[in-house]
Amino acid sequence: MTTATEARTVSDPDQRDAAAGSVELQQVTKRYGDAVAVDGLSLSIQPGEFISLLGPSGCGKTTTLRMIAGFEQPDEGDILISGRSVLGAPPYRRDVNTVFQAYALFPHMTVAENVAYGLQQRRTPKAEVRERVAEALDLVQMRRFADRKPTQLSGGQQQRVALARALVNRPSVLLLDEPLGALDRQLREEMQLELKLLQSRLGITFVFVTHDQGEALSMSDRIAIMRDGRIEQLADADTIYARPTSAYVAAFVGQQNFFRGTAAEGGSAVESEHGLVRGIRSARLAPLADGTPVQAAVRPEFVRIEADAAGGAPTTGANRVQGTLLGVSHLGETMQYLVRLGDDQSLIARRPTPEAPDLAVGAAVSCTWSDTSVQVFPSDDAAAAGGYVAPPTH
Amino acid sequence: MRSLRLPSFALAIPAWTWLVTFFVVPVGAVLYFSFGYKPGIFGTHATDVLSFDRYAEALSPTFFEVFMNTLWVGIAGTLLCLAIGLPVAYWMAVKAPAHRRGLLIALVMVPYWTNFLVRTIGWQIILAPEGWMSQLLQTVGITDGPLAILYTRTAVLIGVVYNYLPLMILPLFVAFDRVGPALREASKDLGANRVGTFIRVTFPLARPGIIVGLLLVYIPLMGDYITATVLGGAQGNMVGQLVASQFQAAQNWALGSAMAVLLILVIMVSAAAIGFLLWLVSLPFRVRNRVVLEATA
Repeated sequence: MTTATEARTVSDPDQRDAAAGSVELQQVTKRYGDAVAVDGLSLSIQPGEFISLLGPSGCGKTTTLRMIAGFEQPDEGDILISGRSVLGAPPYRRDVNTVFQAYALFPHMTVAENVAYGLQQRRTPKAEVRERVAEALDLVQMRRFADRKPTQLSGGQQQRVALARALVNRPSVLLLDEPLGALDRQLREEMQLELKLLQSRLGITFVFVTHDQGEALSMSDRIAIMRDGRIEQLADADTIYARPTSAYVAAFVGQQNFFRGTAAEGGSAVESEHGLVRGIRSARLAPLADGTPVQAAVRPEFVRIEADAAGGAPTTGANRVQGTLLGVSHLGETMQYLVRLGDDQSLIARRPTPEAPDLAVGAAVSCTWSDTSVQVFPSDDAAAAGGYVAPPTH
Repeated sequence: MRSLRLPSFALAIPAWTWLVTFFVVPVGAVLYFSFGYKPGIFGTHATDVLSFDRYAEALSPTFFEVFMNTLWVGIAGTLLCLAIGLPVAYWMAVKAPAHRRGLLIALVMVPYWTNFLVRTIGWQIILAPEGWMSQLLQTVGITDGPLAILYTRTAVLIGVVYNYLPLMILPLFVAFDRVGPALREASKDLGANRVGTFIRVTFPLARPGIIVGLLLVYIPLMGDYITATVLGGAQGNMVGQLVASQFQAAQNWALGSAMAVLLILVIMVSAAAIGFLLWLVSLPFRVRNRVVLEATA
């Protein structure tokens, strides 16, 4: 079917097919006055990829998205969509559509009219508009609400309409700006699953901006962790989780216990005041001289906890610390233990609920974890200060 | 202990009292007087015999011409206010830097804080045949002779547009501001350019504010008589002046009342007619963009 979408892309069909749906950011910089929102960012997004830009507010992720959409123009660098530079092109000349954070549905139009808007702008014949609007509403199961006004819909329903309104245009790239942020938790998890299914079915490139690590981990092919306008790490969820390249990434994705100390054994171990915490050298790090300030990180889910067996010697190759149990909280699938090790050092351990030991608050406990679960990072990271870093709340 | 609770309509009692005393009763009296007559040289009105005679008198050709003149100034003035105020309000709400808005609103309001009469008389100076404007235009060569605008309908039009423009700009500004940037961005994201976005998103959503602005300008403008008195002279008469002269100079309250009632009717009917016309004009656009899907199977 010949559509306006095709007409707007490059004339050479071979070149178009190969690059359609790709997004390429080359050394993109965006400043607001003296503040640098995006700082020489380069990112290459494959056609059909689901990529998340993950980071705290102010890290430049939304600015990046808005530059791809065309709402902002970069001060430096180039942006290519489907292989062509879109520098200077206004949003209405780009083959991308956006699902906005607050949905931005037109309140004076019905659901069907909202979805039809993009097609009408391209002078699509009326019959085709009706057909494609119905199709798009079916896709998000909102057909029976076609004649409602957006104000008569719940947040989740508005979200679906916003999705249909963008997808009906069959863009090469769909941009999503924290689209699930306003939904309650259960609905958000449902929508995560649906979004992922929809994306793999349609094969459209999704660029998803979020501050919610859970969202990014569960849906993305690759995640770009952003910090101060740059990409800190770009990798798939497994790699980000298991092999973070910096303490910042380690702290941002999932939860971490940090031990600060000095490097020992050539950077593969950390000498902290709670005994020798053994570790492996982080893959990215150059060997660290003994005595360099470093921090070791271990995730709560790798920490085993048990009542302190007096005199039990540490197993070889494993880490073992002793402390007092401060509290136990039930998180559903897991039990979480907060252990006090010293004046300003505590430790979180998490065990699957079925195998969680029954420990009394105030009891002496010992915690163990293997050295393979430890990451060592240079101690230059303010974000990782303190004994442990609580995950972003969600 | 049971606390004393007033019925909720108590909140409206002050307003009701005020309106009934100073609006409903006087308008009722004017309506009543309009069916009476002027009993003699020293009486202002008498109502022992009621008739429509004063209305017939008010619609005599001389008076009718002034009515038409008023309607012309009213409609042309309101449309000019819209044409001038709309771009300004849009720019203030959409394009101007956010931190400058307070200043811009103040600038719109400043003339409004000046005495109505004083700033209208100011226009006499500007528009006078020997005034600086006239001389400037002659020097530059735009006009041959002295400016012949003062004491014409054009002068009245210039005066009313100047006097009522803030009443148009402010509600339009609020209306455009309330639409917000998010919907405009969504529209552009979906392929509409600036004009398309204005026609299909900004304008329809700002329509209530535009209607408020039109009414705020049109209604007081139709009843205005200061501007017409100061700038209009004999050619630029408006009904307000006639009413005032019947009450004050001619001491004919009955005829003045009939004119006042007619003016109220003209304002209401013309406003309704214009509203209907606008609705009719927008109808094809609404129908064209309507999307109705077949019922789901």
